[in-house]
Amino acid sequence: MGIDVERITELVPEMTTAFGETLYMIGIAIVIALIIGLPLGVLLFVTDKGLFWENSAIKSILGFIVNIIRSIPFIILLVAITPLTILIVGNPIGPTAASVSLSVAAIPFFARIVETSLREIDKGVVEAAIAVGATPWMIITDVLLPEAKASIIQGVTLTVISLVGYSAMAGFVGGGGIGDLAIRFGYYRYDNTIMVVTVAILILLVQLIQLIGDRVSKAVDKS
Amino acid sequence: MIQIENLSKIYQTKEKVVKGVDNVSLTINAGEIFGIVGYSGAGKSSLIRCLNLLERPTSGKILIEQVNLMNLRGKALREARLKIGMIFQHFHLISQKTVFENIEFALRAAKTPSDQMKNRVTELLEMVGLADKHNVYPTQLSGGQKQRVGIARALANNPSILLCDEATSALDPNTTTSILQLLKKINRELNITIVLITHEMDVVKEICDRMAIMQDGKVVESGSVYDMFSAPTTELTKEFISSVVSMDVPEEIMAKCTGHLVKITFKGEVAGEGIISNTVQKFNVKGNFLHGLIEYIQEKPLGIFLMELQGETDEIEQALDYMSMQAVDVEVIRHGN
Repeated sequence: MGIDVERITELVPEMTTAFGETLYMIGIAIVIALIIGLPLGVLLFVTDKGLFWENSAIKSILGFIVNIIRSIPFIILLVAITPLTILIVGNPIGPTAASVSLSVAAIPFFARIVETSLREIDKGVVEAAIAVGATPWMIITDVLLPEAKASIIQGVTLTVISLVGYSAMAGFVGGGGIGDLAIRFGYYRYDNTIMVVTVAILILLVQLIQLIGDRVSKAVDKS
Repeated sequence: MIQIENLSKIYQTKEKVVKGVDNVSLTINAGEIFGIVGYSGAGKSSLIRCLNLLERPTSGKILIEQVNLMNLRGKALREARLKIGMIFQHFHLISQKTVFENIEFALRAAKTPSDQMKNRVTELLEMVGLADKHNVYPTQLSGGQKQRVGIARALANNPSILLCDEATSALDPNTTTSILQLLKKINRELNITIVLITHEMDVVKEICDRMAIMQDGKVVESGSVYDMFSAPTTELTKEFISSVVSMDVPEEIMAKCTGHLVKITFKGEVAGEGIISNTVQKFNVKGNFLHGLIEYIQEKPLGIFLMELQGETDEIEQALDYMSMQAVDVEVIRHGN
């Protein structure tokens, strides 16, 4: 049950491919989460009570949908949205197909993080902007997003790390990736070498993401 | 001119209904500095926040240059707000933007052409005395400096009104004085009407022309600051005034006084000391000063003296009549024994 060094060299090409697949899936998912989740989070916040687009109907509908998606275990979501995956990428199998499920899971996750980050902003700053005669759009782009920037970047970090975890299940739809490799070879086939190495890679990856996230978040914060 | 007519703001909570502002009517003249004073919870903050509709009043009218703000929404309201600047106790600057960008933000709200932006920001920062702070972030500024940026932002679009929500309450006394001087300068030089709320009578005494005192959402008394200081009519007003103009005499000294105790108030140009010395010479009375002060309110002197008068009762009566005839307010606090 030891670790076989030769086996590691042998596995390098496969590992490289898997690592590439992981980055690919997560990359797509985080981009989609930013594009859709960010506005969704802003919308969840500004439609809240006492804010300039207060609208309890939109707020509750969006909140309800977000909660539903977030309550479904990812492995079930992965399979359940196969029709949607086929509709979007035309193919239910492979890393691209897996990235659809990852995106669907990441959007509401990230949206809630954005909403929470915005909630931390001093309401007075928003009020001062309203008093100055600023439009809602100016308040979003010039007050809300800049003021929450550092916190939102921490949220991106958190989302990416969650995606690393989710991506391990992508093997279910032939998505590949490091996590899939760890489960298929390491766990099911009792190949300790591959398991230890892949888990080590995942640990390093998560540490690296957190480190970069913290650095960037700190660098952009002016307060 | 700002006319507030029957303004009410009612807060409905699960347990009870709170009248933040209760049927307030006030007229604030163009070009004056108007102070609204009250303890916390008196409703002054709700009232000032209603004036630019940060809070929409439950009922009533707010007429600014004859336009009822209550009828405005969306774009029309935003345009009206460009002409009503506001500053806050905790400044509320955008922490992630530089001083320059904070002011530029206000200018963009008014769609200022971008080629005029830099000049206007420079002009505003020079006016508030922060010409060298263009690219500094708010965290690097002191409280007084942050409030100056707040003022520059509020004045960016040449408003006719400036609302000050406890603007000096978070500042130390020296900084408070300098901010008040700046507000006074703005009022004089740019002819901007200033409405301020505060719990500090000092602020009102320092810069206001007229004032109103609030309690439980209602205006208890209002009028010129000088008149209210020299002749307060309600207990609450007296209480606030005694916080800055104290006439307290230690108990022991009061106990030793045997003569008539009189409070003499000189207003404006009346030369108080002369009248008192004349009186003492003219009548057979002895005067003994227990307390005395001269306050300058809106550059007009207000003298208040507490004296003990000793002598025959009718001589004292005559002396008091004589003083009353010299345009002096005389109030007998205690008769001699």
